[in-house]
Amino acid sequence: MKFVAVIRQVPDGESRLKIEGGKVDLGGVTMILDQMDEWAVEEVIRLQEKHGGESVVVALGPERFEEAIRTALAMGIDRAIHLVAEGYLDPITQAEALAKVIRAEAPTLVFTGGQQADWDSQALGPALAEALAWPVVSWTTQIELEGETHAKAKHDLDEGAEVVRVALPAVFTSQQGLNEPRYPTLPGIMKAKRKELKKVPVSASSKVEILEQTIQEKSRLNKMIDGKDPVAAAHELVRLLHEEAKVI
Amino acid sequence: MIADKKLSSKGGGWLLERPEQIFTPEDFDDTTRMIQETVRQFVEKEYRPVAEALEHGELEHNIPLLRKAGELGLLGVEVGEEYGGLDLPKTVSTVIAEALAGTGGFSVTYGVQTSIGLLPLVYWGTKEQKDKYLAKLVSGELIAAYCLTEPQSGSDAMGAKTRAELSADGKYYILNGTKMWISNAGFAHLFTVFAKTPEGLTAFLIERDTPGLRLGGEEKKMGIKASSTRQVFLEDVKVPVENVLGELGKGHKIAFNVLNVGRYKLGAGAIGGAKGALALSAKYAQERVAFGKPIAQFGLIQQKLAEMATRIFAGESAVYRTMGMIDQALSSLDKANAAEAVLAGIEEYAVEASIIKVLGSEVLDYVVDEGVQIHGGYGYSAEYEIERAYRDSRINRIFEGTNEINRLLIPGMLLRRAMKGELPLFDAAMKLQKELLEPSFEEPEDKEMAQLEGLKKLALAVLGLAALKYGKQIEEEQEVLAVAADILIDVFAAESALLRARRLGGGVYAEMAALYLYQALDRAQAAALSILPRLAEGDDMRLMASAARRLTKHDPTDLVALRRRIAQKVLEAGGYPQPKA
Repeated sequence: MKFVAVIRQVPDGESRLKIEGGKVDLGGVTMILDQMDEWAVEEVIRLQEKHGGESVVVALGPERFEEAIRTALAMGIDRAIHLVAEGYLDPITQAEALAKVIRAEAPTLVFTGGQQADWDSQALGPALAEALAWPVVSWTTQIELEGETHAKAKHDLDEGAEVVRVALPAVFTSQQGLNEPRYPTLPGIMKAKRKELKKVPVSASSKVEILEQTIQEKSRLNKMIDGKDPVAAAHELVRLLHEEAKVI
Repeated sequence: MIADKKLSSKGGGWLLERPEQIFTPEDFDDTTRMIQETVRQFVEKEYRPVAEALEHGELEHNIPLLRKAGELGLLGVEVGEEYGGLDLPKTVSTVIAEALAGTGGFSVTYGVQTSIGLLPLVYWGTKEQKDKYLAKLVSGELIAAYCLTEPQSGSDAMGAKTRAELSADGKYYILNGTKMWISNAGFAHLFTVFAKTPEGLTAFLIERDTPGLRLGGEEKKMGIKASSTRQVFLEDVKVPVENVLGELGKGHKIAFNVLNVGRYKLGAGAIGGAKGALALSAKYAQERVAFGKPIAQFGLIQQKLAEMATRIFAGESAVYRTMGMIDQALSSLDKANAAEAVLAGIEEYAVEASIIKVLGSEVLDYVVDEGVQIHGGYGYSAEYEIERAYRDSRINRIFEGTNEINRLLIPGMLLRRAMKGELPLFDAAMKLQKELLEPSFEEPEDKEMAQLEGLKKLALAVLGLAALKYGKQIEEEQEVLAVAADILIDVFAAESALLRARRLGGGVYAEMAALYLYQALDRAQAAALSILPRLAEGDDMRLMASAARRLTKHDPTDLVALRRRIAQKVLEAGGYPQPKA
């Protein structure tokens, strides 16, 4: 069996983003393996630990992605394929490029993040399945193989969940609760240096071009409640949270 | 071994020759960065959930934490692969120490295990001793403690009263005595105990359940409360002769060498702690509103933030510069007689290790103190993290050799090397004497580098004068030695900051380096003038005093504007503006 995780490198959610000339400036930002992709990597490693075979990580992105790829290798993935492409590519174009490589690998299944943190998009998994003409299970929280031909999976819906049986090969996207990902051990990090990382240059032109980016900013209301009478202050706080903020 | 090296890369050689480049955190390789990230995750996922419980005395949480660290490979960084370790560069061990700093007492538990706990075994253990204990210490199955200090002997380790006598049948040593302030004692399985034998100080490996070894209660400490600290009582403890560690009477070699290692890691840990405290303070200053605006907008708060960041930058630059020197020296070693060579390599940079120890612990104490101040009344409350940082910081100036002892060691070791002909300090001092009599008034092209040279010359002049006047009696002139040490620490820190800032292409780093240098010049001048009248008299003294002023000369700068600009970067970064690689 062969299990593939498709990953991306994205800005750390805690980094402060800046806009320079209408574009997000990633200069001072820490880049990490997308958290939802990390769940995908963890699941692929667990599947391999349980069923044997091989685990492969595939990524499409600029040179800097190598760091995230190394993280996946250090977590325990066997080898990596890096499709090197600088600049922005829309999910459909990415899926087409990824599909070529993945089809050639002929894996049992593919796992990727339910959502891509950098574009706030959920398109990559379904678009990849479309390009491969394979079924897709999105927002997966549980997966179990039934031999090499089928998998049983539980996945989230808007209001609830659903258990499905799906024919393999298939694409799965991750959801919170799927697993608690491990982090690289030092021996894992050392071993990762010797693992195969194949680089494949990709020349594709994006169907979508980003013209301008802005950051949504909302200033605080700085509302102060007089605390001389604690009981009255608590009442006022509850009223504000209920009537104005509408959070309780 | 180091003889053919450039002067600037020898221990203490920077005083006479400026290196073209120094190692900086921006030079970390991917492996080091990934290990740094793994430690960060360890802190978040393993330590954070039990942090409160640990602080409140549930010290048993240290045990699974150490085991987990063992699983991750964090306990074997300096141990060979045959015992489950990774044998990585020393830089990695400092990066880990820095990343663990936020864990307070647990960082002590970890530090004891990986430094003074298992390194004596790594460097001096016999094959049988290593086979028996080392792999289990690396996995965290066994926990180690190190027993040197006694109720009546701390810095004067050689004054230990614990005795070891050979049994009549020659199979055992019988140990009697009391050890004090023993970290990890509460849950350690293996104690490295120093005791006097007829040959001198000797180290012994003693297992926890050996009859006669008894523990005192937990000490009630000011800080690092998550760590276990107890007395260890030894009453007729029978230790098999095969558990003697190293040679009989050579225990002092173990004790002092292991301290060198502990010192640079302590410096790195202190810088890590200072970064954490600055982040807390910057965040608080941006959230706390007074007189209608965040206090971060006030000049006196910004002044503090700028000073904190500047000292961290200088300290961090000095720490990793030293690690670069050590790893460079160790990388060329013949692995065949590794232990001896590694120790010699580390010993070569004992001056720098002491500098980093003093610098790091005092940067940290400054930063946590101002951190509490920025927090105002809240900083005095245990509800706020800065309160613990403040308490945890204080021990760093005391253990691993007090800062006073280390201050004496810095010039002391330099002078000893000069006398042994390893470092041409006296030639340089003679040349300098001539130069001071015929000063040049040319304007240097590179003012900052010239100012650094001035500081180095001043340090040399003070050392040279003192050595000339007191000869071997100089050890009695502690106040003079400390002044020399202070100038040397400042020179090393300022030069490290400046060389690094230039590689970073200026910006806020150049401003921090400039601020540090400016203040170093002021401090050096005042310190030198305070002791010159003791070293010289009459015209000689006046000549030296004017030389001291000339060597530390600098134009007044608008420090207010400088600090405000630095503070701006601290606020933007939400803490220490860590340079990007």
